[in-house]
Amino acid sequence: MRIFFIILLSFNFLLAADYFETAPYVSTSSLGNDDFEKEFNDPKKENIIDPLSGYNIIMTNINDKFYEYLLKPTAQGYAYIVPENARNGIGNFFDNLFFPIRFVNNLLQFKIQNSIDELERFTINSTMGIAGFADVAYSTFNIKSHQEDFGQTLGFYGVGSGFHVVLPLFGSSNLRDIAGLLADAWIDPLNYIAARDINILKNSEQSLYLTGFYTINKTSLHIEEYDNFKKDAIELYPYLRSFYESRRTKLISE
Amino acid sequence: MKQLLYSFLFIYTLTIAPLWALQENEITSFMQKNMDVATTILRDTTLQKSQKAEKIFSIFDTIFDYALMSKLAVGGKHWEGLTPEKQKEFSHVFEETLKISYMEKLDLYTDEKLIIVKSEKIKDSRIHLTTHLIKNKEVYEVIYKFYKDASNNWLIYDVDVLGVSIIQTYRTQFADFLAKESFNNLIIKLKNKDSQPQ
Repeated sequence: MRIFFIILLSFNFLLAADYFETAPYVSTSSLGNDDFEKEFNDPKKENIIDPLSGYNIIMTNINDKFYEYLLKPTAQGYAYIVPENARNGIGNFFDNLFFPIRFVNNLLQFKIQNSIDELERFTINSTMGIAGFADVAYSTFNIKSHQEDFGQTLGFYGVGSGFHVVLPLFGSSNLRDIAGLLADAWIDPLNYIAARDINILKNSEQSLYLTGFYTINKTSLHIEEYDNFKKDAIELYPYLRSFYESRRTKLISE
Repeated sequence: MKQLLYSFLFIYTLTIAPLWALQENEITSFMQKNMDVATTILRDTTLQKSQKAEKIFSIFDTIFDYALMSKLAVGGKHWEGLTPEKQKEFSHVFEETLKISYMEKLDLYTDEKLIIVKSEKIKDSRIHLTTHLIKNKEVYEVIYKFYKDASNNWLIYDVDVLGVSIIQTYRTQFADFLAKESFNNLIIKLKNKDSQPQ
């Protein structure tokens, strides 16, 4: 019995000694020949060419100030007046309006079932969901939305991201996604485009107000998340850039 | 007296000994079990945020390789040029940064479910464990990236959230910061960030 405990004890001490001496840093010595560096230097994961970095940093700061001093207080004031349920409903209403963008881009990427889902969602939510305010398609029929935009479609066809560009108000983007934004704008019901055959809105002033309303409503639903997300930043511009580029790559791969 | 000593040793062995090695075939079961434990902790309304974090860290600390994460975030080239003391100091500060960031996320937790979707062996020394965090109709993908160390233990060296690698994000920012500032200033910056009120 005693022998048993002696063995147990020495085993323990060996383990403990091993732990306290080396365990926290054991990896550092064992890593020399591993290919971690390659994994994290993969050019596909990170936009190394950043010719606009000077401008991008300035625009990031302007956008951040715009958010902190104008958009966020406005959205907070709005959230104070309008209950969350109503804001969710309004969010659903707008999401339902953006149906054409999702439908077309799913189709362009041959995601046929997703396009059918989107079509069903639009039909169900526009009628039973009272003009899209209630997401009946999900709550009753469990049909999920499939977010796709033209930037993702371009990525699907192998178009590279191009360098990073921070847009005024819109925030992080890149050459490919700017092309995508322009294409999506053409079928976006919230836009007024004179050259377009069908316009729900009467003029670009209406479009501006509605887009503003949409933005404030959407922001009001995510203030806490965004503030929390931003707290992690050590350097805001590279943080947002790195996050945006990785996230887009991921979305395109899905 | 002797009995007390023995029982103490016995408990000590049971609790400490198994912690230092996670084998390949145990990864999924370890994570499944402990994600369930973590969910229970998160839902416990009698605990303060810091207590919850403390309990969760005590479970997962053994499988996170913070030293390696520090090295990868700084970048191998820069890391080699640092003295072992600096490396150690940085690792401690960075571990704190990561933990505080995690703790802040607990504010956002409501009633999300955590499930393991799949475990993939990317290559001989890498396993990716894909999990889903489900909140109403939203599904957030979180991938825990394991590697096999020299003594065949599996440890986490990075976590992908929504396709974004946490280490890569820090690495980009540190590279940017170190291009214009000294390494000591980076440590000071992280320390200041760590000591900010939450």
